[in-house]
Amino acid sequence: MNPLILAFETSCDETAVAVVRGTEVLSSVLSSQVDLHARFGGVVPEVAARAHVESIRPLTHKALVESGVHPADLDAVAATNGPGLVGALLVGHSFAKATAWARQLPFVGVDHMEGHLMAPRLEFEDFAPPAVVLLASGGHSQIVHVSHWGEYRVMGETIDDAAGEAFDKLARLLGLGFPGGPAIDLAAEDGDPAAVAFPRALADRPYAVSFSGLKTSVATFVRKAKAAGELPPLADVAASVQEAIVDVLVQKTMRAVADTGVKVLGAGGGVIANRRLRARLTEEATARGVKVCLPRPELCTDNAAMIGVAALLHLERGDLSDWTATVDPGRRLG
Amino acid sequence: MKLLAIETATAQSAVALAEDRQVMATATRVDRTGHAGFVVSATDFALDQAGWFPDELDAIVVDVGPGLFTGIRVGIAVAQGMASALGIPLLTAISLDAQALAATTGHRHIYSVVDVRRGELAVATYRPVPGGVVRSSEPVLLTPDRLQQQLMSDPSDPLVVGDAAGIPEWVLRGQHRVKTGRPRYPSVRALLEIGMSKLERDNFHSDSAVPLYLREPDVSLNWEKLNPESPWSS
Ligand SMILES: [Zn+2]
Repeated sequence: MNPLILAFETSCDETAVAVVRGTEVLSSVLSSQVDLHARFGGVVPEVAARAHVESIRPLTHKALVESGVHPADLDAVAATNGPGLVGALLVGHSFAKATAWARQLPFVGVDHMEGHLMAPRLEFEDFAPPAVVLLASGGHSQIVHVSHWGEYRVMGETIDDAAGEAFDKLARLLGLGFPGGPAIDLAAEDGDPAAVAFPRALADRPYAVSFSGLKTSVATFVRKAKAAGELPPLADVAASVQEAIVDVLVQKTMRAVADTGVKVLGAGGGVIANRRLRARLTEEATARGVKVCLPRPELCTDNAAMIGVAALLHLERGDLSDWTATVDPGRRLG
Repeated sequence: MKLLAIETATAQSAVALAEDRQVMATATRVDRTGHAGFVVSATDFALDQAGWFPDELDAIVVDVGPGLFTGIRVGIAVAQGMASALGIPLLTAISLDAQALAATTGHRHIYSVVDVRRGELAVATYRPVPGGVVRSSEPVLLTPDRLQQQLMSDPSDPLVVGDAAGIPEWVLRGQHRVKTGRPRYPSVRALLEIGMSKLERDNFHSDSAVPLYLREPDVSLNWEKLNPESPWSS
């Protein structure tokens, strides 16, 4: 019988709670703080921590009610233990650990990135190692080789900004709002991705990515074009910027897929919600006969169902946290 | 009535258990950043000592501050998690009360002080009455300067309780009428007492456990970030 897991995720600006049964999502709810932080143009750690402590109890109630699960039937409780904002992490982790203790259930601390990495399992039965997974979000850009469940090798990552961070900075350059990813995705909708040929910074290291050069060249391009009165339509510039970011991610990922010879490609993180990136990954992987497993956008952005499904693995292995367990805001996968 | 008290508002973390008015177990540790690693395991230890199971608890009382923001949130998150999982009432108390109640004085005006960092102190004052204290001013944030002025202009003999480490030495220098005293941190036994009184009085009403920060988050609005100038606007 698949275990029933109550899972929590509070590493950044979303308070998220979910109930999963094995790899099946019974409920996944969240209270987004995007509007709260949009006022400040970025996530403010103290604001995030305050919002988590307010919403965690009602949200837990909501997740349990929506799942139709009686709390007495739960088999385990899980929570993100890093990486992330320490004050934010501590709220969800403490609440979860206390819940587990009160019900005398096993408690599992889960790496946030392992959560993103395992998210495809929620929707794809054939998502299994050996696989390559592209993790791209506001805080991370990594290409990970999964040789067996629980064995992760970070093949490459960004040498400067994370992909989501690059979207934020570039959106600002184009006068678009925060968060930048969705803003550029929307602005690029009817644009021509080939309108401006921005450089693709393919760093020397085979699987590493870099976005700072792109930022500089977009800034220069916009300034010069505006001075010359030859600024192309916003949609075209947005689409071209988006294409440059997507291109780098896709090329590096496909190289990792080819070099490892895996037949399964997964992805996770908020940037994977980008429509152009999804289309390109699907196209390239399919052309090479690689099974592509892209979770639906709500499971790419931060959520607790992914923490639940990652906890499943630890639970099966008896890899549990004790009551003294705490968070590690700087933890790294692998 | 079996009550659990959770205290994490200052550098001290503490938990305690009482059955009616009898304290059954306490566990305490001082570590400014150690609240999260301590509270649940200490509660587990205390229940073990008392020979109780979690589902025998009747209520939980938690300190909601003022104090260290992260500590307060850890305590509240733990208390909320336990109270919701067990379906029992969650009661609250404020740190300054839990500190003043444990002070011993016959006549002195009690200044209960908690260091909230960034050069500010949370302060409330209390009058001793038979069997306890009565709060005579609401919690406020004061700079050490302002605290000194208040102490100087207080016609009674003040007793300052709380973590003196947070009060610069010059504040109390030369103030001969002013005494400092214990407790150094909010008392978890006093917290039990406050909780028990609430339980007896309030007939099992749960408080909404909202942190008492006394200070807005320190955010600077970055106008450039907020309203990026669009190159397409002329
Ligand atoms: Zn994430």
